[in-house]
This record gives sequence, C-alpha cells and structure tokens, in this order.
Amino acid sequence: MKQRFISSVQIISLLSLTTVCLSGQSFPGKPKIIRCRSLEKETFSCWWKPGSDGGLPTNYSLFYSKDSEEKIYECPDYRTSGPNSCYFDKKHTNHRTTYNITVMATNEIGSNSSDPQYVDVTCIVQPDSPVDLSLETKTAAGITYLCAKWFPPPLANVSSNWHAYHYELRLKPEEEEEWETIPVGVQTQYEVMRLNAGLKYGVQVRCMLDCGEWSEWSPERQIQIPSGQSPPEKPAIIKCRSPEKETFTCWWKPGSDGGHPTNYTLLYSKEGEEQIYECPDYRTAGPNSCYFDKKHTSFWTIYNITVKATNKMGSNISDPHYVDVTYIVQPDPPVNVTLELKKPINRKPYLVLTWFPPPLADVRSGWLTLEYELRLKPEEGEEWETIFVGQQTQYKMFSLNPGKKYIVQIHCKPDHHGSWSEWSSEKYIQIPSDFRVKDMIVWIIVGVLSSFICLIMSWTMVLKGYRMIAFILPPVPGPKIKGIDTHLLETGKSEELLSALDCHGFPPTSDCEELLIEYLEVEDSEDQQLMQSHNNGHPSKNTQMTSKETDSDSGRGSCDSPSLLSEKCRESRTLPSKLPAQDVRDVHENNAGKRGWETQCMASSEEKALPFNTAGTKSSTWPAAQLPNIHPSIFAYHSTVDAHKITLSTTNVSVAPVLEGNEEKHQSQYFTTETLCEENLEKQREMENMHSKNDQSTIQVKQNRLNEKSSFLNAKLMDYVEVHKVRQDEEPAVLLKHKENSGKIEKYTVPGTSKEYTKVSTVVDHNILVLMPESRAQHTPVSQEPAKETSQNLQQGQVEKNMSYCLTAPNECKREASGSEYMDPSSFMPAFK
Amino acid sequence: CHTSRMATPKGKELAQNLPREELTHLILRLLQAWNEPLSHFNQHMEHHQELSDDSLSKAKQISNMVHELKTGVEKSMGIISNSLNGMASSEAAGLSISNEANLMSDSDFIHCFRRDSNKVQSYLRILKCRIMPENSC
Repeated sequence: MKQRFISSVQIISLLSLTTVCLSGQSFPGKPKIIRCRSLEKETFSCWWKPGSDGGLPTNYSLFYSKDSEEKIYECPDYRTSGPNSCYFDKKHTNHRTTYNITVMATNEIGSNSSDPQYVDVTCIVQPDSPVDLSLETKTAAGITYLCAKWFPPPLANVSSNWHAYHYELRLKPEEEEEWETIPVGVQTQYEVMRLNAGLKYGVQVRCMLDCGEWSEWSPERQIQIPSGQSPPEKPAIIKCRSPEKETFTCWWKPGSDGGHPTNYTLLYSKEGEEQIYECPDYRTAGPNSCYFDKKHTSFWTIYNITVKATNKMGSNISDPHYVDVTYIVQPDPPVNVTLELKKPINRKPYLVLTWFPPPLADVRSGWLTLEYELRLKPEEGEEWETIFVGQQTQYKMFSLNPGKKYIVQIHCKPDHHGSWSEWSSEKYIQIPSDFRVKDMIVWIIVGVLSSFICLIMSWTMVLKGYRMIAFILPPVPGPKIKGIDTHLLETGKSEELLSALDCHGFPPTSDCEELLIEYLEVEDSEDQQLMQSHNNGHPSKNTQMTSKETDSDSGRGSCDSPSLLSEKCRESRTLPSKLPAQDVRDVHENNAGKRGWETQCMASSEEKALPFNTAGTKSSTWPAAQLPNIHPSIFAYHSTVDAHKITLSTTNVSVAPVLEGNEEKHQSQYFTTETLCEENLEKQREMENMHSKNDQSTIQVKQNRLNEKSSFLNAKLMDYVEVHKVRQDEEPAVLLKHKENSGKIEKYTVPGTSKEYTKVSTVVDHNILVLMPESRAQHTPVSQEPAKETSQNLQQGQVEKNMSYCLTAPNECKREASGSEYMDPSSFMPAFK
Repeated sequence: CHTSRMATPKGKELAQNLPREELTHLILRLLQAWNEPLSHFNQHMEHHQELSDDSLSKAKQISNMVHELKTGVEKSMGIISNSLNGMASSEAAGLSISNEANLMSDSDFIHCFRRDSNKVQSYLRILKCRIMPENSC
C-alpha cells in the first residue's frame, strides 16, 4: 500500500513538473540582496541579484522596515543607482536605525521574496581615514623605535559611541614596494621596532568601524630612521664670567651627540691676532666649561670664542661668541657681614653693619673697585627696601624699629660695566627694645594722675552736677510778672493773656487820646523810611521794624491795642531812637533789672532794638514764631504819671554778666520799647531787652535788640520797677526803683508821679525811659538825656550804633500817650515779620 | 682703535709691575691721544646733527673732562718738563694717530673711547692705591 501511495505521488509530481516545464512558466526565483553601500553617509543604496524570472516578466520591489517598527515602506527610488537597486536618499536615510530589507520578485504566477537583510546604516558607511598621523623616532638603549600617533577621523553627523574604530597600520621602506601591515587594535598609537637604521620609511594608517568597512589609507608620512651615526648637533655658548677681573670662565651647552660620544673643544682667538688657541683648562670650572687663568686673560681685548663638537661622524661648530673680559665681571657676594649695636649717650641706639669684599677681588690695589648695595626687610614683610651704599664697607642703620626682626642682604658689583653679584646670605637683625625705665615711670605717673583727676571730676559732677552747671552756665531768669502765667502766654490767646494780665480796655480806650497831645508827629513816610532803613540795615533783625508801629501804639498804642504789627502802630513811627540798650540785662534771676516796659508797639521797641542788635544775631529778631512763646509778662509797666523823661539807668541793672549765665530759655532781652506816647513820653525807655538767651556775652547789646525774639521773657523775669522819683526838671526823669538791688538807678523826677508804678512807654537812648504819664498834665517834651551811667553798660559797640538810630528818631517819634498800659503780646506777633 | 698700537699693559700684574713714572706717562699719552680726536668728533657731530642736543653737550663735556684730567694728572704727578720732551716726539705720532682716528666710524670711535677710558681709569686707580694706599684701597 505504501509503495503504491508513494509511487502515485511521484507520478503526480512528475506530471506537474512536466507540465510546468512544458509550459515554461512559473513564479520567479528568489532574489538575493547583494550588498548595501553608503557612499556619502547621507544616502545609501542596496543592490540585489534577481533569481530566475520563471519565464515571465518579473517585477522587483524592495520593501523595508526600520528597526522593529511594523510599518513597511517601499523603496523610494529604483533608478538612481541603476537596475536592481534601490537608492535611499537623505530623507530616507536614518542613521542609527537598522533597516530590514527584503526584495520581492513578482510575476504573473507568483512571487518570491528574498531573505531579509538587516542593514545598519552606520555600518555600511565607509569611515574617513584617521588624521594627524605623526611619527617620531626614539632611541633608547641603542635601539631605535618608531612611534606613530594618529587621531580618529572627525565625525560629522554620526556619533560612533557604540562603535569603536579599529586601526591598521602599514609601512614600508622608501625604496621597496611591499607594505607591511600591522593590525593595531583600538589604540591610536603604535611603536614599531625592528626598523633598519638609516632608512627612510613611509607609514599609513586606516580605520574601520567594528561593523563596517575599512576606510581608505591615510596620507603617507615619512620618517628617517636615524642611523645613529651622525655628526653632533651644534653646541651653544651660554656665558662667560670673570669673578675678580683676573680670570674668566666660559660655559657652553652641548647639542645632541648624534649617537656617538662627542668631544668638545673650545677655540678662541684674540683681537688683532690671527692665531687660534685652544682652551687651556677644561676641568677647573666643571663640565662643559673652559677656564682661562691669569696668563691667558687679557683685558681690553676682544676674544672670539667658539666650541666645536666632534664625533665619529663629523663635527659641528657653535656660533662665535665675542667677549671683552673687562665687561663681564661679576664678583662674588660680600663676606663677613657683621652687625654691631652702638648705643651712644643721649641718643637712640643704632646698628652698624659691616662687611668685607669677596676674597678674590683685589680691591686693595685698586684694580677692581666694588660698589655695594644692601636690601632690608622686616621678617614678615614682603618687599625689600634696597639701599645703595657705594664703595664703603659699612652702613649705619638708624631707622629700625626696636623689637622687630629684620633680614638684611648685601651684594656688590664693579664700579664700571659689570653685573651684580649674588646676594649674600641672609642676616637677621633685631634691635633690643629697650625700654627705659624712666620713660615708663613718667607715663605711669601721668596715667595715674589723669585717672585720678577724671575720678574727681566725675564725682563732683555726680554729686553736684546741677550746681556746677548752674555755676558755669547760670540760668537765664524768666520774667516775673505777677499774674502772668507763662504757659498761658505761650499757648493762650491774647484775650486770655490780657485777662490774665488783668488788662482792661483792650484795645485801649480813648483815654489815650488825651495823651496824644504834644506828641511828636512822626510822619509815616519818614517813619517808614526810617523803618525801612532800619530794615535794610538789619534785615534779619528787623522784624521789629514794625516797631515803629509800636511807637504809635505806645502813645495811643494802648488805645489801639496795638499789636506791634498793627498798622496803627505803623503810622506813628516814632522811633524812639534812643533805645536804651542794656539795662535790663540782669533780668535773670532776680530780674531786678527788668524793667518791663510794655512796649506798646513792640515794633517801636523793635525798631529801637534794631540798632541794638548786639552781637549775637542769634536771637535775631523776634521771630514770629517766637512771639507766642514770648513770655508775656515782660511788661512791667510802670504807670507813669507824668513821664517826662525817664531815664532809666539800665545800667544798674547791671546787665552784663548776669545775663549770660542764664541759659534757660532764651531770655530775650525784652526791651519793651514802648511806643512813645507822645503825650508824655519824651523818652522812651527801652523795656527790657529781651534777653536772648544766646549765649552772648554782650549784655547790653542784646538788650537793645528789639529784635530779640522773645522779647517777652518769662513772666518772672519781668518785674515791675517801682518808680522812685520823678524829677521834673528840665530833664524830667523817672527813677525807677529796682525791686532787687541791682544797679543804680538814676533818679529822675517824674512830676506827678504819685504812684509807684509807672508805665514806661519807651526807652530812649538807652538810658532814657519815657514813661507814660498818668496824668496828662505833664507832657514833657521829649528830650533825650543820655544817661551817663547807662552809657557804659549799654553798649558795647553795637548799641551805640543803635543809638544813632534812635537819636534821630525821637524827634520824629510820636509820642503817644499810651493809654493802655498793657502791652498786648499778640501785638507783637505781627510786629515781627 | 688708533691707540691699539700703544703698548699698554693688558693685565693687573703687568700694570702693577710698571714703575710709577712709566705708568703716568702712559696715562698721559693715552689722554693726549684722545684730545684731538674728541674735539674733532664734536665738530663732526655738530655738523651731522644726528644726535640730540643732550648728546652733543655730553660729548663736549667729555672732551673737556679728558683735557682736564690730563692737566690734573700732569700737575699731580709733578710732570712738567719731562712731558714736554716726551710730547714733542709723540706729537708727531699723535698727529698720525689723530688722522687714523678721523677715519674711524662713529660707533668704532665710541667703542674705542670707552675702552681707553676704562684703561685710564684702571691705571689711575692702581696709581692711586700705590701712592695713597689708605684711601679706600
């Protein structure tokens, strides 16, 4: 059965085959991919070999897939690379990918596909050849090696991190034809032995990626293998030196010896002679040197020196070296450097450094003269200080710091052309820091004493600090006006103030008018001019210019309730020119001196004050700001009945010194200048000057300052001055009694003064108080009497000037009876501008 | 150098072995030999105007110095009459020497002068230390 089956099958297959063969048509044979190549790395091509075509026209198509993707692409280009090829252009060429390529042959009957071919583009690229091939011969132990080095080809787009290059080297002697190839591996250098000396070799190298093809051979490099028998290289003369100007030595540097022991000879000739000599001594100065002793050394002649290197193969001569021994002297460093500390009496100790010239140098005969130089630095320092010493062999050092350690070195050179020697060995210096006991004791005593004094001072300060301060800087007294609350003045309004002051009739009533009689009429214009002049003169101080107004005020100022600044005041600008200056100074403390006069118009007072500005500008004018601060009370008014002229000797007030002391608040001098009340007041008396606190010593002057700012001093400072007497002479005057003793007061009679207090309208001339007369009976013409006494106190310099102003003023001053006895502080405000 | 022909000791011992007068004469001869060439050189320089004014003045200064030095040496060594005799004979030689000097190039001139001044200085120093040894010798 089996046999029958098998045979039947065979018959059937035979029949089919026959049929096929007879028909001559079948499916195509399997194609085969021959190879794939990349020519430029950007593209590649694959060629296949078709199988049999089965008698029918066969179509070949190439399919590929990348890496492990499933997508299958078809060949993009069947033509470019020729028949049976597929060309992958740039777009289709991906490096780092593996292409799985198959070729399918198709005909009418069927198709057949080739075996798949895996193509890694990188691998099919032919790499570039290695670059920078360098060759070198080395001779060691009589054997010469050829050392070849190169670099892998530079990579363009392909990174061959995972591909290593393998190299191969080949060489051949120049004359021969056949190359000897040596596999190298992955290294980039190789040493070749077994070379024939004396021949010239050519070397090439190529590389390959582990999966790819070999690159082309690199360009050939040639190298001559040293035969080991060449003449030596040219030696070179380094330098020639003479240490003592009697002998000299020359050194040279040999070149390569060419493989054989080389002999060196030094030949020289002298200037003017033609004979050539050989070095007399090769040994004394060491290898590769020549020593010329005294006999062979001539000065002032130029030597022509050359060195010749000789070996079996030949010789070589160095370049000639010309030398004149005179100019190549370099001595040895100085020796025996010693230090000596000298301590002269009454002077600082100093150090003497001594040394000796080098032993070989013959300085004694004068043949060689040396100059020395030393350098110095503190041990920790970095920079050397170089000192040129000259030909002496000692040096005195004065400027070293005791206790510090220094390093010193010396070197020398011939005095004419030559070079400096080496530095001598380091020498350490240290000046003992000598500490004079005497000095220390003195310092200790001084220290103890001063600390003692300090202690005492601090103690006293602590215990009696206040008193001390008071002693040194006496407080400036404030005004003492009863019934006036300084704070109120500071903060309160005018009404309040006035009420406190118990003013009635503010603005003043028409009483004043009575006082208007016999007032001096002061023209506005004049006044103003005057004012202005004042102003000009003392711009800063003249806020009080407005004081003129006060004049008017004072007269009727009270009537008008003048504010200094008030216009009314302005109208009557009587300038009581005499503004007594000083006086009040002593306001402070007991203020005896204060005469507070109300100044009707502060302005007037100010005006007066103007001239009085004393030294300190300080307070300058009444600053408007200050006005509020003004302590009211300044005005002590005296009710003057008939004020003629009241001269107040302010001097008694004493002024001066006292004031200074008072610091406190500014005691501005308040001078209250009253406005002249024309009626009676002839003179104006200046009210207290404002004491200005500014530490001015000029006493009076300050007072006069109308400008002073806080004219209104503390209430406490203000005080009433009792009118002692009123003299009714041709020079009526009012004597005011000081409440507290203070100075003398001139006595003036004031007619009709029954009351004790008189209101002083103005102060004139510093000495003259113009009081406001209570009874209008008396109107004394204003006259001015300079108070003698006051004069002195008054001023000092400035006041006098001020006086001048005032002097003229009175004539012009209007006297106004000041009806109001009170000064309206608020009036001051405007006055100060 | 035009003074090359002069027989000058070329070493320390040689110089020290010379007696004092001879050494002095030698010095003087050297100085003499340079007197005229120097002045000639100065004129030459002035004409050429190659050097700066400083150099010219320096050159003049140097030639003056040489002259003064010669005079000084003569005086200090008390040589008066002797030199006259010596000079007479050497003047003739001096002339020819000077002529030679004129032919030198500027750089050679300076080079020779530098050398000879060094010679003179060395000889003078030797003389000094021989005569007055206590003076920094």
